[in-house]
Amino acid sequence: MRTVLARLGALVVLLAIVGLLPWLSRNDPALTVLRAKSAEQEATPEALDAIRADLGLDAGPLALLGRWAAGLLRGDLGTSWVSGYPVGPAVASGLATSLTLMACALAVALLLAAALCAPTIWRGMRGQLGEGRPGGAIGAILVACPEFLIATLGLIVVGVWLGWLPTSGWTGPANLVLPAVAMGIPAGAMIGRLVGDALPGAFDERWVALWRTAGVTEGRIAFGALRRALPPVMPQFGMVVVALTGGAVAVETIFAIPGIGRTALGAAKSQDLPLLQGCVLALMCLGLAAGAAGHLARRAMLGSGLRDAALSPPPPPRGPSGARQCAIPVSLAAVLVVIVVWGLLRDPLTVDVTAKLLNPSWAHPLGTDALGRDVLARLGHGAANTVGAAVAVCLCGFVLSLGLGFAPRVSTGAADVANAVPAVLAGVLVAAAIGPGTAGAAIAVAVVSWPNLTAHAAALTHEARAASYLAAQRALGASPRWITVRHVLPHVAGPLARHAVLRLPGTALAIASLGFLGLGTQPPTPEWGLLLDESRAYVEVAPAAALAPAVAIAFLAALTMSSANLTRLPRRRTAAA
Amino acid sequence: MPVSRRSLLAAASAVPVLGLAACFSEGSSGSDASGRIRVAHMQPPRSGLSPLTDDAFKLSRWATAETLVVLDTDGEALPWLATEWTQLGAAWTFTVREGVSFHDGTPLTAEAIANSLTVAAEAAPKPRILDGVDLTVEAAGSTVTVTTAEVDPLLPHRLSSPQLAVLAAKAYRDGIVDPVGAGSGAFVLTAVDGTSSATLDRNEDWWGGEVKAAGIDATFVPDGTARAGKLRAGEADIVESIPVSQASLLEEDQITEVPMPRTCTLYLNCSAGPMSEPAVRAAVREAIDATALVEGVYDNRADLAEGLLGPAIPWAAERAGRTEPTAAAVAAGTAITLGTFTDRAELPEVAQVLQQQLQDAGFTVELDIREYANIEADALDGAFDAFLLSRATVLDSGDPVAYMYSDFGSDGSFNLSQFADDGVDAALDAASATLPGDERRTAILAAETAILNADAAIPLLHERVIQGDAAGVVGSRKDPRERELVGPETHLA
Repeated sequence: MRTVLARLGALVVLLAIVGLLPWLSRNDPALTVLRAKSAEQEATPEALDAIRADLGLDAGPLALLGRWAAGLLRGDLGTSWVSGYPVGPAVASGLATSLTLMACALAVALLLAAALCAPTIWRGMRGQLGEGRPGGAIGAILVACPEFLIATLGLIVVGVWLGWLPTSGWTGPANLVLPAVAMGIPAGAMIGRLVGDALPGAFDERWVALWRTAGVTEGRIAFGALRRALPPVMPQFGMVVVALTGGAVAVETIFAIPGIGRTALGAAKSQDLPLLQGCVLALMCLGLAAGAAGHLARRAMLGSGLRDAALSPPPPPRGPSGARQCAIPVSLAAVLVVIVVWGLLRDPLTVDVTAKLLNPSWAHPLGTDALGRDVLARLGHGAANTVGAAVAVCLCGFVLSLGLGFAPRVSTGAADVANAVPAVLAGVLVAAAIGPGTAGAAIAVAVVSWPNLTAHAAALTHEARAASYLAAQRALGASPRWITVRHVLPHVAGPLARHAVLRLPGTALAIASLGFLGLGTQPPTPEWGLLLDESRAYVEVAPAAALAPAVAIAFLAALTMSSANLTRLPRRRTAAA
Repeated sequence: MPVSRRSLLAAASAVPVLGLAACFSEGSSGSDASGRIRVAHMQPPRSGLSPLTDDAFKLSRWATAETLVVLDTDGEALPWLATEWTQLGAAWTFTVREGVSFHDGTPLTAEAIANSLTVAAEAAPKPRILDGVDLTVEAAGSTVTVTTAEVDPLLPHRLSSPQLAVLAAKAYRDGIVDPVGAGSGAFVLTAVDGTSSATLDRNEDWWGGEVKAAGIDATFVPDGTARAGKLRAGEADIVESIPVSQASLLEEDQITEVPMPRTCTLYLNCSAGPMSEPAVRAAVREAIDATALVEGVYDNRADLAEGLLGPAIPWAAERAGRTEPTAAAVAAGTAITLGTFTDRAELPEVAQVLQQQLQDAGFTVELDIREYANIEADALDGAFDAFLLSRATVLDSGDPVAYMYSDFGSDGSFNLSQFADDGVDAALDAASATLPGDERRTAILAAETAILNADAAIPLLHERVIQGDAAGVVGSRKDPRERELVGPETHLA
């Protein structure tokens, strides 16, 4: 009951913020509505007054909010300020479109995740899981693939060159394939990494050896390990659903899909409050439902073990990494450092339109962009902006989650609501408050991304505390603080840190996606996402300029993944003793 | 337990698949030998295709909604739903064309016209063409009398605006205007699917004669790469507004560059800061090489600006131009701020090239680039020494006086240059009081010369819109005012 109240409270706060958006941003809603209806019209006082009178804006924000809430209780979402049509049907059709797309993207994601985890399961169930963690590199690189780049490449290669699928539109199932793949690849890689990360631990647990000696089939062992590894990841599924439904704005724009994300962004830009509130409400309800379903699924899968504190902890990790495993991240890091330092020594801002879109040469090792600026220089200078902001976001999330993991109830309401907000919407709100920029984009992504880590931390903490050996520790008189610091925290911190590091490229991409939509870093500042956006349209003419930032992000992803594998969990000597 | 869970999952995953059919747009996806024209537009409708908003231009581009008057290429008014008109002081009387009926079968009457115009005049906001114009409409028999508060020599031109289209009475209900099946033009709008597609069929009984194409299947594709992709993949016959980045990927015979009445202009702040010195403004003018912009940023798909009015207004070529250029000051060390916005993708690029050129001439330039909504108020307050804007020079009347007045009149509502000059005010007043024709044009060009001499704004280039036509398209309209696209004679060969 308390969680329900907390969620309701957080929901009301968010809706109130949306309702006050024009007054927070100090952008006159009459002006933005005028621009939406008629872009080039002079904003004469006469025209603005007519709109204010027509929409009843003079009543003030609180009265408007009250009127909207009263209508909501009667089941009336109001009428759009821009179109004059009722909001309800518009939101419903956008939601139906987005849910259809989400279902297909989720199917792609699950297939990809299964493919990524298959080698681990195959080797794990045969007891051949070595030191390495298979399938990681590909997954990590796919996590870092920008949706809008996959979408653009898919549109050009499959739609235009091969002519196999329609390039854009929303007229039949064939229209679903390209967008679903574009969105499903990063999402599937994310799920695959999380599950793949949990699987080796499950296969190392004592019951596996016990089952094996008892002659249990490999298939059943694999199934058991999956059941063991999936619960902490279940809440993530809910978040993936929300991200695929409301956060698909870039893909929806490229493929001209009339989804709810695009509707919400358009409503936010024109400050069409009734439509925006309707979209937000629908997305929140979906997000809260998905979050609740994820939690229920986790509880159902853990079953009675969770209640009875009868789970055994995963065993301590394997031995130290070998030299071979160190070689990969070291060489990746070396390449990145060389690129960044080399780029930093060059000039990222000098425009020379006579030398635009050049292919790589000695003078311009990565070619030039559409204004003749050196791509290598912009890549190097952009690294500080992009990676710096992403590191800050992930670090904040890690520290916050480590604390909140112990008190999941405190944050549940806020977390579920934050989860249900697509990053784009958060970007709009933050940009309205402090103006669009790198910092605003980073804050927006941080605001919506911490629950991912917190949920994982809460699940890990819950599970660690339920471990049966802790009951023994308690019986022996260990203080709760001792148990927390010596047993629970190390159990949580390792996987959580891996998760946080794994999120780094994705976070960088989320910040970049806001840039793509004009809500992040503003030109001419070099930033990787902005570089991607600027050169995306020229991918056929000058592929080097368009693909270099994507390759850099992929390198970063591979680097974070391979070094995350090196980070060993702290040894639990007391537990082993 | 596992069984029930699995069946639940199976049921859940089946739901979206079953619901699929219901979720897609109704528009037909492929048309081939049927003679229907597939059009890809850039902007999706914002207001359910209400003619009182920018959506009006879609209705006119499909030739479904019609106006009393239309404009020829020179901007002269020609009869359309009205066959003739006479002026008596502030009252203009229009004769209604006979034998015209709306797509719902009801006849075009003076009452229907009066209703449409009155709704537009009372809308919030009213169409931009009626800014500062108060009009009342009276129907009498087969004539409509439009009376304005002040004598308005431009009234017939104003009535050519697609936003003042005449629709059947059934379009107007519950405070919205729904044009489906309510127009009178060559094509009948039969269905609109939100922001993704619209379907039109040939009007077999059009008053203007035979309509060649069987219909129009319109889609709205905001992304430039995707829009060009539709033409390259053979999914669209006519594609509007192809971005420069994609134009080189298309066959030369697939694209047409249409000059637009739009001028990329650098407005200089004449009332405060370093730019209040005319000699510094002249130094800015001399530092800028617009050729580099046309060649570098626009790939030569733009026209170098001679004045404020470009090649989309053919008579502007007769201008005297800048007759008395001010001598330039030495720019060294002058620090200025240059603002522009991201909503039009080329502007940040142009701003960066300008920054470079000005810095090469000795200025120190700080760029401030934001979204338009976040920068408009500051720009109008004069927060920048220079502001870069792509400005539409003629709105719906085909006449540039309104633009010049709002931008350069001392009490203009969009006076980014904070410019006030008695000579310019007098020239604009003279122009706006003159009847359309050669005299008015001469007065307009005189005002332009005065503005250019003051260097209040530096016109850089005139944009072109790139229209894509598939090989088989015959007779598509290339309209600089973006009012026409598919006409009765347009068809697929």
